[in-house]
Amino acid sequence: MSLDNLKNRNVGVQNYKMLDLGHTPETGWGKFKQVLKRSVKLELFVGLKVTMREMFKALFMGEMHTVKYPFEKLPISPRYRAIHEMKRLLESGHYRCIGCGLCEKICISNCIKMDTRYDENQRKEVSDYTINFGRCIFCGYCAEVCPELAIVHGGRYETASEQRASYSNFEDMLTPMDQLVNQKEYPGFGAPTPVADKNIKKTPLAY
Amino acid sequence: MDGYIIATVIKAILILAVISALAGFGTYIERKILAFMQRRLGPMHVGPFGVLQIAADGIKLFTKEDFIPSGANKIIFMVAPIITAATAFIALAAVPLLPEFTLFGVTVRPIVSDMNIGILFVIAMMGVGLYGPLLAGMAQENKWGIIGSARTAIQFLSYEVVTGLSLLAPIMMVGSLSLIDFNTYQAGGIAHWIVWTQPVAFVLFLISGFAETNRTPFDLLENEAEVISGYATEYSGMRWGMFFIGEYANMITIGFLASLVFLGGFNPLWIIPGGLAIILKVAFFFFLMLWVRAAWPHIRPDQLMWLCWKVLMPLAVINILITGLVMMA
Amino acid sequence: MSDNLITVTIDGIECKAKEGEYILNVARANDIFIPAICYLTRCSPTLACRICLVEADGKRVYSCNAKAKDGMDIVTQTEEILEERRAIMEVYDVNHPLQCGVCDQHGECELQNYTLELKVDSQHYAIADTKREHVNWSTVLHYDAALCIVCERCVTVCKDMIGDAAIKTGPRGGDKLDKELKDSMPKDAYAMWNKLQKSIIVPSNGTEHTNCSDCGECTAVCPVGALTERDFIYKANPWDLREVPSTCAHCSSACHLYYETRAESIDNPTEKIFRVKNEWNYQTLCGAGRFGYDYENTTAKKDPQALAKVAEAIKSAGTIKFNSMITNEEALMLQTLKEKFGVKLVNNEVKPFANFLSHYSKAAGQMLYKDSFADMSECDFIVSVGAKLRNDNPAARYLFNNIQKMNKGAGMYFHPVGDTLIPTFGKSVQTFEHKPGDEESALLLILDLFANKDKLPDDVKAKLDASKEKRTKTVTEKVMEEVTETVVDKETGEEKEVTKKVPKNVKKEVEYEANSLVEKLGGNPETFEDDFAKMMKKKESFALVVGEDFYFHPKAKNLANLIALIEESTEFKVAFIPPKSNALGVALICDLDEECEGSTVGYNEPADFTISALGNGDFDIPAMNQQEGTTTNMNKRLVPLNAALDYNGYELNDIMNALGLGKNLTVDWTESLPVEKGFQLAKFDDLPNGFRNDKTENRGYVLANLSVEKTGIEIEDIEDIALDGDIAYRCNPQRQFNDFTNKAHQIFEKFALYASKERAEQLGDFVKVEFENGALELSVEVDERITGDIVEIPDFKSDLDVYGLFGKDRYAKVTITKV
Ligand code: SF4
Ligand code: SF4
Ligand code: SF4
Ligand code: SF4
Ligand code: SF4
Ligand code: FES
Repeated sequence: MSLDNLKNRNVGVQNYKMLDLGHTPETGWGKFKQVLKRSVKLELFVGLKVTMREMFKALFMGEMHTVKYPFEKLPISPRYRAIHEMKRLLESGHYRCIGCGLCEKICISNCIKMDTRYDENQRKEVSDYTINFGRCIFCGYCAEVCPELAIVHGGRYETASEQRASYSNFEDMLTPMDQLVNQKEYPGFGAPTPVADKNIKKTPLAY
Repeated sequence: MDGYIIATVIKAILILAVISALAGFGTYIERKILAFMQRRLGPMHVGPFGVLQIAADGIKLFTKEDFIPSGANKIIFMVAPIITAATAFIALAAVPLLPEFTLFGVTVRPIVSDMNIGILFVIAMMGVGLYGPLLAGMAQENKWGIIGSARTAIQFLSYEVVTGLSLLAPIMMVGSLSLIDFNTYQAGGIAHWIVWTQPVAFVLFLISGFAETNRTPFDLLENEAEVISGYATEYSGMRWGMFFIGEYANMITIGFLASLVFLGGFNPLWIIPGGLAIILKVAFFFFLMLWVRAAWPHIRPDQLMWLCWKVLMPLAVINILITGLVMMA
Repeated sequence: MSDNLITVTIDGIECKAKEGEYILNVARANDIFIPAICYLTRCSPTLACRICLVEADGKRVYSCNAKAKDGMDIVTQTEEILEERRAIMEVYDVNHPLQCGVCDQHGECELQNYTLELKVDSQHYAIADTKREHVNWSTVLHYDAALCIVCERCVTVCKDMIGDAAIKTGPRGGDKLDKELKDSMPKDAYAMWNKLQKSIIVPSNGTEHTNCSDCGECTAVCPVGALTERDFIYKANPWDLREVPSTCAHCSSACHLYYETRAESIDNPTEKIFRVKNEWNYQTLCGAGRFGYDYENTTAKKDPQALAKVAEAIKSAGTIKFNSMITNEEALMLQTLKEKFGVKLVNNEVKPFANFLSHYSKAAGQMLYKDSFADMSECDFIVSVGAKLRNDNPAARYLFNNIQKMNKGAGMYFHPVGDTLIPTFGKSVQTFEHKPGDEESALLLILDLFANKDKLPDDVKAKLDASKEKRTKTVTEKVMEEVTETVVDKETGEEKEVTKKVPKNVKKEVEYEANSLVEKLGGNPETFEDDFAKMMKKKESFALVVGEDFYFHPKAKNLANLIALIEESTEFKVAFIPPKSNALGVALICDLDEECEGSTVGYNEPADFTISALGNGDFDIPAMNQQEGTTTNMNKRLVPLNAALDYNGYELNDIMNALGLGKNLTVDWTESLPVEKGFQLAKFDDLPNGFRNDKTENRGYVLANLSVEKTGIEIEDIEDIALDGDIAYRCNPQRQFNDFTNKAHQIFEKFALYASKERAEQLGDFVKVEFENGALELSVEVDERITGDIVEIPDFKSDLDVYGLFGKDRYAKVTITKV
């Protein structure tokens, strides 16, 4: 980017088109002429025509816009950032989270808390994990920073509940075991880019 | 004489019942039409296609608390909506709603009272209707209410002039103030409709009719964006409902007036019997009001006044002059 | 060790330095960054990592090992050096598990830091990995060899600082490096890798367990997550912890430390201490400080009725009993109570020390001992008397060891209880296992060996002379003898006479000057003279450490006078070890009484009415990790304690307020500490608590050593009061100091009778120990580092009144029977 580009701080205006609205008449005669012109052109009836046309389209051409939520739902973008999910490893079903705490650290609103411990197999075990959804701003940083692709955003945006905690228990966030086969990778924040493989530098191997 | 009184009472009650039911139904229709024009579905969930929505609304209105602000002038506050509803229905007394028909051997004239000044009576009653919003707005001790009532005063009074003047030309042609006479005058078929001889009067009447019924684009009285609910700000429950019914009854009245005065009334149309013809015409006007609401933005108060005094009133006067000249010639 | 300042230039910046400083330390003191992994400031350079490479006057040197010379021009970065350093970091990353995510060092890992610092973004080296297991070395140590980068910091600190030398490098069993690498890669990186590939760390006793002091210092210095505290593993990430700089409350060393706290768990938001960290470059902790942190009082509540009751109890009390787990401020409050209400203040731990100090100050004309332990680190000869170094005071023991290792020092250790660890500190360490009661002779011997005889009073000189006598001993000498042999030449068959010189051992009687004091103290007078001469070679400065045995000694007064005499007549730097945590502070602030009188109120001590931070008394007060205040340590320094944890109850200051004597805050008392005892008018909030880059301690302030009226040194005659028979010694196991260490969940040492292996075998598992005025039933534990027959009985449980059983002595004649 050249320096000139940087200096143009009028960001966002560049693509707007100005409508040709003509000029506003100032004299009484001018105004009268405008009224006459518009009346003769039957401008008012254009409005009526448009609404009538839309009604026909809606009623007879199946272009009704209404989505009968909650009976019908619109598909959301796969990158949508709604209530978090915790993924499992496909092979073993064990949760992916290793308890590194990066999500906890990066969280802008400080709403992730986790407990870890040393388990019987000498590994780090996440004994509890919770997100305070009263505070979460759904910024997606946690999903982006997670090295294991463990915490991701799901598509669940209906979050009215008696208890905020309803969505934030570790067990509730984890993919249910019987749904494991249907578990999808999240393509949004933090997912490897399609060119990730190309960008990796190879490490020599002694075997 | 007794029979006349009983018949009149029955007619009055019937009209009251039917028109208020229609007014209710009108709200449903309005919502539906507006929704369709915006490619929405409108009410859908109460009853098939949401038709029972009116019932639901009715229940809601009836069961709502009847709220009277502490600083309000109680009696006037309570009476005002009744004025609106009452005048709207009283106006209908002089309107012949359908052609004569025979029921069980009795000839029924579906008009409560065919007085010889029918049209004047209707306009006068609608003029009195102004007191409803005016008093309501002033009685409720609310600044939006006051503004609403002020707007009522200027809007209704101004457009009363246009209504009157625009009707004057047809009256001159018919030579009677009875609406039945208007109907009879146009009995000769579509070609005899007054709209062909008085197009300007028709348009003026329609415009001022919109204004008098407080419909878009002249819904300044209770325009939400500017004055909350205007004169109805502090009203709730059935009292508010009465304003509503009054408004819808007025819409129907205007529909009848326009049909009777300009579009041949309840004269049969080709194969369509007269009764059905007038219902279709009124339905068209009702639909037109909704259609306009969906299509057009509302105007500013100053534009409203400009339109009334600088455009419509002069046009109406010129129209009367020309009519007079033509009649003299 | 001269103080001459020299000037060196590092990266163009002129730096002043002491002669003999390592370049790395000079740079650090001047805020110049040189990467260094294996070097520990107060230990000897290991030269394991080689990353501290710099160019001094155009030559490549290791800055942690090269001394700065006047006018030296040092460059810390050249292209070649950077290449070398990067290669070193790449090699460290070869086969290092990619498990930062779960590693406990994650976030404060030096391997991570230097890998980033040197911008290692790709790897050029590889070698087959070797399977390495994790192991638990002890109750507190966890070693994961897979993460270990063999920097040997743990080994170094354990040897040079702690003295246990409990760990060493052992074979890794890895593949050999490819020979070609030697030419193709930077040579320091190759050398480092070569060594790395051969070793891991193992316990040096050949078993799987370290059997060490469990101080945990090795875990602190480990730059990576290889050596960790077992309790802390995987519990919390370092960045989640709130770091509270404070001071350890357990012994009189009052070491600087950080409490690291965090909410206990998601379900329990109460703050808990998760671990203790230290500035290991400047301050070494012992196991009690590192692991004995969770002794907070959790039961306290604010109950005005209880407050009224305790105020009443104090008003009507005859005596307040307390110990040295107390801040200066609290001590001052107790003293105020004494002044206002006339209660007696009784403190068994401190009273004898206070008496000893007053004897000493009268003899020496100054309130406190002349020097401090902090000044002694440069000494090269250290003598310890009356201190069970290993148990009484870890810091003094580290000093003793560090002097041997760092200053090529020598040491003498006088103590009745034999210890196998002390002699391993250095080749020139002599231990004297004397009888309890012979401590005076030890001081006389010191006078004899070191005193400027002109400065000694005549009677002492006479005593010293009397202890010498001429004896003869048999020595074996090598003499060269001429032998004549007949040799047959194999080729020619000729016989020839050859004369050769052949060494031969000859026994010889020689006369020598025997010192009966040496004999009395358990030394060998025959060899002592020569040994001592060897020890004294190239020695310039001397340190004398005086321990608790002296304060609890029947002849304490005489000992105090002898010490004053030593101070006067020798070059010794002298410092006392206050017996328990804030003993020095209490001794200075409180005017203590000998005996209890009337009803007693106990402050952390059992009594008629007990105020206690242990949560089991009649009234709760905050524990030392829950309150602000100051304590006076053995370096005569007042150091601040900060509150690491919440406390919901009343403090002593609240009781004082209830009695109408209080101040707004406890720390408002800090500025009222007695100036006439050497304290300053400093506000608590102004007290610093840290260290500077150039190693100087910047904590609190040092008390002024005021002079007092000198009454002169009087040396009494030495009587023979040595004890014989079954002797018990009042001494805590390592890591245990008081009820509070005992409460901590990672301190496992039991309240038991500790004895040498042989003695423990004789005694069996459970014994009854009868004192003159009572008895204890104790299980028997082996302390493998004790030798001899004296058994040790701890005093860390105040409700057992061990002080009462021992009386005014640390040694007691007891009868031990098997139960
Ligand atoms: S989405 Fe953002 S705010 Fe919400 S938990 Fe993740 S990091 Fe925190
Ligand atoms: S960043 Fe991912 S792996 Fe790490 S603690 Fe959070 S969810 Fe677990
Ligand atoms: S020791 Fe350091 S580099 Fe190695 S896994 Fe742990 S944090 Fe990562
Ligand atoms: S355990 Fe830690 S301190 Fe010891 S050698 Fe390995 S990396 Fe270094
Ligand atoms: S805990 Fe202390 S004594 Fe034991 S190995 Fe580590 S440093 Fe050495
Ligand atoms: S720090 Fe100098 S060699 Fe490691």
